[in-house]
Amino acid sequence: MLVSILRQGDYLLASINAALDDSEMRRFQEALVERIGDERCRGVIIDVAALDVLDSYAAATLGSLADMARLRGAETVVVGVSPEIAFTMVQLGMSIPHVHTALDLEQGLQVLGRLTSPLPPPRP
Amino acid sequence: MSAARPVAPPAGAPAPAELLEIRTIVRRVIASRVRDSHMVDDLVQETLAKVLTAWGRIDPDTAIPYAIATARNVVASTWRHLDTTERNLHRVVDLLPADRPEDAVLDREEGDAVATALTHLPDRDRALLVAHDVEGRELAELARESSTSPGALAAQLKRTRARLRVEYLLAMDHREPPTPQCRPVLLALSGGDRRRQRELDVSGHLLACPYCADLGRPLSQRASDGTSTRIAVGADADVVLARQTGRDVAISLGFSATDGTVIATAISEVTRNIVKFAGTGEVRIGRLQEPARCGLLVVARDAGPGISDVDLALRDGHSTYGGLGLGLPGCRRLMDEFVVESESGRGTTVTMRKWRSTGGPGGR
Repeated sequence: MLVSILRQGDYLLASINAALDDSEMRRFQEALVERIGDERCRGVIIDVAALDVLDSYAAATLGSLADMARLRGAETVVVGVSPEIAFTMVQLGMSIPHVHTALDLEQGLQVLGRLTSPLPPPRP
Repeated sequence: MSAARPVAPPAGAPAPAELLEIRTIVRRVIASRVRDSHMVDDLVQETLAKVLTAWGRIDPDTAIPYAIATARNVVASTWRHLDTTERNLHRVVDLLPADRPEDAVLDREEGDAVATALTHLPDRDRALLVAHDVEGRELAELARESSTSPGALAAQLKRTRARLRVEYLLAMDHREPPTPQCRPVLLALSGGDRRRQRELDVSGHLLACPYCADLGRPLSQRASDGTSTRIAVGADADVVLARQTGRDVAISLGFSATDGTVIATAISEVTRNIVKFAGTGEVRIGRLQEPARCGLLVVARDAGPGISDVDLALRDGHSTYGGLGLGLPGCRRLMDEFVVESESGRGTTVTMRKWRSTGGPGGR
């Protein structure tokens, strides 16, 4: 299992468990965007701790994934960026625009809680 | 040119005065036709020889006209001969350049050096080297004879060759190594034995000893291109394989985890370009071992369409497929040395080097 997508409350937790190649990355992107609609989620957390590198393609994929999620009404937080990957991304001159980041899952959930104000209660 | 042989004058030889007169006339006839004075002498002699040989058969009254006719014939046949030679001269031109005089000397010097180097090897090692590399016998066969394993012989052969390289360089140099440390250091360098190199502090010695730094250069250069891993690239999954191999090699060379990620990322970028633009290619990942530093070499090569404008491709934000446009320019920032060679229609080669930032070999 390269990627696991679990639902927790209003959020989806997507963990990347292995190094992904480009086509796997693309399939992950499609699957996640689809799940957002299916599960009616308001937020997505993507855990990239197990990803070996975040190169320009992976970063672009995460960036467009966040854009698509936002169009589907969900905010995206990327967590688990290792110090090595952070160093490399900065050296490469790369950032993931429009994507929120947090250190780990716990802080990621806090960020999502702040970003997604609770929906008004349904009318009686 | 046939010179006149002393001819025994036949019966009725001409009187000296008569001969002198004939000679003067012949000379005048020939000199009016031939400019080169040496050739004139030759032809006069030849003509007189012919006239004297025929003396018995000719009427003394017609001797002078006969000599004149002979002289004309001799001159004519000489021209004919020269013409033929000139016409065919190009046929004898040697198209292969003649050996330069110093080549033979250099060859001999090299042969002497190898011979000297061979005498410095232990008898057993020399016998094995000669049996395998000169007589072309199989290791398996030699192993049966000496009742050892082929593997052991191969290891012995490798040590022997390393030793031969050092002895050869020493013999070519004609200088004695300045310190007793030099020979073992060069030997460790030649054999690529990293543990032994650490024990002897090879990098320290090379810094301090100009003799070894000089002699060791070909040895260490040789060692640095001997060890490389090749990954054939043809699909997305190969990108992951290449970058993971690169990281493993980097870590095994003592690079930090961060540098491992940096190197893996750069490999990922260049390998992706192979898959995307050329379809297939290869990535070679190897060790760079120089006396004072150690590093990693990545060569990514394909025979695809090539990059039409390398400068443009190296500019930030230029992407031909909707990426971030950070691939190649990013790699240049990630690695210490970065060279793109590309020819439109002939393929692309990207060569990248990363040097380990601190410490000599075996540090960390």
